[in-house]
Amino acid sequence: MDFQKIPPVRDQLMKCVRCGKCRSVCPVFTEVKNETAAPRGHVFMVQMLRDGKVQPSEELYERLSICLMCENCTVNCPSGIDVHELNAAARSYIYDQNPTLGKEVVFDTMWTRPGLLKGSTRLLWGTQRLGLQKLARSLGLTRILPGDLPKAEKILNKVPFRSARQRLPEVNPARGQKKYTIGYFLGCGTDLLQPSVALATVDVLTRNGCEVIVPKDSRCCGLPQIANGKMDTARRLMAHNIKIYNSYDFDYIVTDCASCSSALSRKNLEFLLGGLKIEDQAFEFAEKVMDLSYFLIHVLDLQLPELKDIETVRVTYHDPCHLANAQDIKEEPRELLRRIPGISFVDMEEANTCCGGSGTYSLTHYDISMKILDRKMDHAMATGADLLATSCPSCMMQLNYGINRHHWQAKVVHPIQLLSEYYQRVPVINQ
Amino acid sequence: MDKDQIQQDLIKIVGKSRVLTHDLDLMYYSYDSSFLTKLEPKTPYAVVFPHSTQEVQRIVQYAYDHKINLIPRGAGTGETGGCIAINGGIVLDLASWDEIIEVDAENMQVLVRPGVIHAHLNEELAKYKLFFPPDPGSSKMCTIGGMVANNASGLRAVKYGCTEQYILGLEMVTATGDIIYTGGMKARCIKNVSGLNLTKLMVGSEGVLGIITGIRLRCWPKPEARGIAMAVFDQLDDAPTTVLEVYQAGILPSGIEILDSSAIWAVNQFKPEIQLPDAEAILLFEVDGNPPGVQYDGEMIKKIAGKRAREVEWSTDPQRMAELWEGRSVTATAAARIRDDGSRIFAGEDISVPLSRVADTLRSIRALADQYGVQVVNYGHIGDGNVHTAPVINPENPEEVEQVLKLVHEIHLLAIEMQGSTTGEHGVGVVRRPYAELEHGKAVQYMQRIKTVFDPQGIMNPGKLF
Repeated sequence: MDFQKIPPVRDQLMKCVRCGKCRSVCPVFTEVKNETAAPRGHVFMVQMLRDGKVQPSEELYERLSICLMCENCTVNCPSGIDVHELNAAARSYIYDQNPTLGKEVVFDTMWTRPGLLKGSTRLLWGTQRLGLQKLARSLGLTRILPGDLPKAEKILNKVPFRSARQRLPEVNPARGQKKYTIGYFLGCGTDLLQPSVALATVDVLTRNGCEVIVPKDSRCCGLPQIANGKMDTARRLMAHNIKIYNSYDFDYIVTDCASCSSALSRKNLEFLLGGLKIEDQAFEFAEKVMDLSYFLIHVLDLQLPELKDIETVRVTYHDPCHLANAQDIKEEPRELLRRIPGISFVDMEEANTCCGGSGTYSLTHYDISMKILDRKMDHAMATGADLLATSCPSCMMQLNYGINRHHWQAKVVHPIQLLSEYYQRVPVINQ
Repeated sequence: MDKDQIQQDLIKIVGKSRVLTHDLDLMYYSYDSSFLTKLEPKTPYAVVFPHSTQEVQRIVQYAYDHKINLIPRGAGTGETGGCIAINGGIVLDLASWDEIIEVDAENMQVLVRPGVIHAHLNEELAKYKLFFPPDPGSSKMCTIGGMVANNASGLRAVKYGCTEQYILGLEMVTATGDIIYTGGMKARCIKNVSGLNLTKLMVGSEGVLGIITGIRLRCWPKPEARGIAMAVFDQLDDAPTTVLEVYQAGILPSGIEILDSSAIWAVNQFKPEIQLPDAEAILLFEVDGNPPGVQYDGEMIKKIAGKRAREVEWSTDPQRMAELWEGRSVTATAAARIRDDGSRIFAGEDISVPLSRVADTLRSIRALADQYGVQVVNYGHIGDGNVHTAPVINPENPEEVEQVLKLVHEIHLLAIEMQGSTTGEHGVGVVRRPYAELEHGKAVQYMQRIKTVFDPQGIMNPGKLF
């Protein structure tokens, strides 16, 4: 798609008045404290790019990619500018002019093919298991990795051997009377890095009258590709997924991953596919997509009986940007946690500020990512919580690294895991 | 002098990590919030981030020796091009030098570096039950240094005045590289009439005399109670009349703000949860002080405004007050929402007129806007006659740009004709410099001569103010 015709590039660039409000809400700017990290600066540069006043160079890409796409500027922009979309569109345009083999391999080949992606995580598992990672670290071999990867590879600790997709059947029948047929959009992060979250999701849904289908040929939601300048690849992935999911008769398409539900949302599909032939099918698909916590509260309206002799655990919650900012879903995960017997919920300060993970950001911008993470951990630890909950596998990975980094004796969980644990204590319910 | 050489020399002074030299990085410093820089962004030779007075001094001495322009910059939220290197030069980004050196609660003052953000300062002072009263709409991003350089004020100037009233003293580096301390910078007293008042000279000097590196601010006790009255009018003229009637009744609110019908619409588009009522105008009165006093003022305002207003809402609920005040503070940029293909521009946006002529001014601005075919949103600090006009245009349409530039010129002339000023709080910078002679006459020559004393080579922020 022509860069100039992408809706935000066409309609929104001239709206920025450079008021600077975005400076006050940007987690990257808060740490970098320099205009080159200000969202309004990126909007300005995208305008310069559109007008041909700067070249679509790798150097420009590097500057734009300091933004971690948390969308906090977008939701706070008084002029209503989708700053992150402008940034993503520009990255993609620049990348098209400067393709690199490494990125092609990662985002076009590996990440678009579930088998290859699984193979890579297996390899990682193997190196970790055999202690090769430690050996490689001590020999300094990890230092030959590109960018910030030598420092960041520690974040990818404890990769599980078996993915969720390997453990889950395609069709998971409802236990008890069937109420809904659910298409479970199993994202790459949950599948490969947090498979227990996927098992918990299927467990809770099937207990509550949902037949859960995990379509075999489902692929990545495309968000990593959008963030990494590969919008065309994201479009292809999206078109593929739309075709697959629209071929079923799902009542809802549910996902436990904040990034996936934001990528599959109407807002994002308008950005990605707006004006293309596939638009109508895309919107039909998006109508059914729902975040898991939203589904559990608003559709199933879960009511959970109290249990006897239950220990109370203190839980705090980190808002994934792709849920809170991209979809304005803040209350539902909290409400879900409050409804689970035995949980004492406590909010942390700046709960709705990025953890610095943002998919691949912690791998490419390790130092900034760690500063943002440290601030997040300070707020989380101040709550005195036993559990740090969040609804995104990428945030979970980052926060797990955070608790290790800060030697905090808490555990990172997805709310659905707590719900599943609750059900396992009361096996008679909904069986 | 060669740009590369300047960059290399600056690196020697402050180190590589605190100098920007790449052309792309420098472009991020080619704009502020002004319409001027939207049309004509200007890139500096280098950007430097000093973190000590001595570093600033070394940079200034270097620039003085080589006759290179110096442009101090805070958060870049100004609307006048004041922090832009319009004739080339080195930008000193002071925003990251954001240390609150000392809160001297006993003596009700605070010592800060220029990069401290206004909202952060008040968060810190609140721990001591103190506050720094001026309240600019850009509180969450603007810096104290920028506020001092522009003598900023904002929503509470009615009762609390402007920044200048709170500056006890300054540390600054003059354009010759001298470090000087003005007023009570090195003292801790509150009253001080010793010597020529250089502090007042520096406040609002927009960087043309030197670089402010330290600020001693007076703080006030934070009022215990606060309330907001919102009066809704079907006739625009009733709003300024009501303001005068409130004053005549002996009530001094901390802020009185006006939003016209288009501003109301824009705010509701941006923040629908605020639910401002449809009307020709809304007045927001903020009162603060001790709880019984606030209640009394609120009731009086309700009674007085009720004579002309369709309805008056009085609230002391913190959430509702926050919504209403937030609604007002975002009007500046939310104004663009009145037009799908439009952008609010900052030009002709800050005139100040006598209280008795606010209604005439608002009518005249509407007539001028009609004449030039430009949509405008009017809002502002009506309690002190400071009218903010927001033209909303498509800035990529050359015809609209031409028309709006004519309109804002007329608005500036209107302000002078009304016995007002072209700027109440945003400053002069580049954009209002052409009106200096008209506003100040021969006094401009004295301003220039004063500048020569501080800046004999004319390197400090040239092309601004006069």
